[in-house]
Amino acid sequence: MDRFESILDESISALQAGVPIEEILAETPDYAQELRPLLYAAMVLADPDPTLVPSERKEILRDQYLAQAAELTPKVPTLNDKTQAVLSIVRRRFTKKAFLNDLVTISITLSLTLIMAMLILSFASRNSIPGDFLYSVKRISENIRLSVTLNQDSLNALEDNFHRERLIEIEQLTQQNRAAVVEFEGTLDTQGENLWVVEGITVFLPEEGLTIDSNPQEGDRIKVTGFLRTDTVLVADQITKAEVNSP
Amino acid sequence: MEDELSLLERIKRHDQQALAEVHDRYFNQIYHYINYRLGDSDASADLAGEVFLALINALKRNKPPKTSLSGWLYAVARNLTADHIKQKVTTVPLFDDIVADSPSLTDHVYMAQLAPALKQALLELTEEQQHVIALRFGQGLSLADTAKLMDKSVGAVKALQHRALASLARLMPKEVHQDG
Repeated sequence: MDRFESILDESISALQAGVPIEEILAETPDYAQELRPLLYAAMVLADPDPTLVPSERKEILRDQYLAQAAELTPKVPTLNDKTQAVLSIVRRRFTKKAFLNDLVTISITLSLTLIMAMLILSFASRNSIPGDFLYSVKRISENIRLSVTLNQDSLNALEDNFHRERLIEIEQLTQQNRAAVVEFEGTLDTQGENLWVVEGITVFLPEEGLTIDSNPQEGDRIKVTGFLRTDTVLVADQITKAEVNSP
Repeated sequence: MEDELSLLERIKRHDQQALAEVHDRYFNQIYHYINYRLGDSDASADLAGEVFLALINALKRNKPPKTSLSGWLYAVARNLTADHIKQKVTTVPLFDDIVADSPSLTDHVYMAQLAPALKQALLELTEEQQHVIALRFGQGLSLADTAKLMDKSVGAVKALQHRALASLARLMPKEVHQDG
């Protein structure tokens, strides 16, 4: 029924535009029989040349109207009128459709702004080192890149890159004599009593407050978390065996 | 031309110039609407005059149209027309009374003869259907504008239009039901 009603309305529009009825029916042969009487009724009902009120009569009615209108005292808008006027604009603005349009626009704008901000922050944080304001952004963007990389080879390559980046950061901190909490992965080269050398970095093992998991041996790949002091000594807090990347 | 909302705000302040503009802008439309439904130009002119006096009375009572000036005027015109129709005794037209030597759908005279009878047959429709027909075919309004004036969905107006035309078509002479 909805389809027929739409066809009927399109046919009426064509009729009002001057298209002959039989031509309209020829375009819709499946509905022609049902449409024909309705379109003829529509054609007969159309009022293309409506009669006008005689101008004298219209003038009399206008004068009567204006005489009544003259009895109205002009109103200076009160604060309440102004408030109502503003509210009526607001009500018109906040229809369901306008609200949904606004919601979509705001959502898209916010999403784009957020994405732009993340890209800018990610770019700005690329040279940060531990202790910098943007360093956490750098690590978050690295984690996002890891989580969206599905190919195993690409993932391994990316992880290797980030491990190298940690070593470079420690080197930069050392050069700048800065203290910071650091974390890195590397091969355990030498294993002394209180000093280990991991990937060329000397790590001090304090007697208290250190956790070592899985009894790592020389040649193992380990993950070290600790505090790099300004005297360039790295005091370990936690040492664990690193997960070996699958080939 | 000033938009309807600004005009409405001005008549709420009883601005005389705006009130005159309302009459000049809408009188003919309202008269056509009423005359289409009544087919009586004298009575239609009187009722159209009443519609505009009703506007003044509404302003006096501090109950002006809220959001749509034209919607308000058409609503008053619709009510006054419906009341007027109720007071009149009407008869169902007989299309068979319309005589033509050789009835043909291409005969404009014959088709023109059908118009008054079909308009008279409008009175057999529901008041809402009459309103839709008057707005769509008398005023030539689009479906969307009709729906807005009636505060209904476009789909609802389509359905009303369909039912009204189908009812009227049943009253039309047999020629229009046959493949031309």
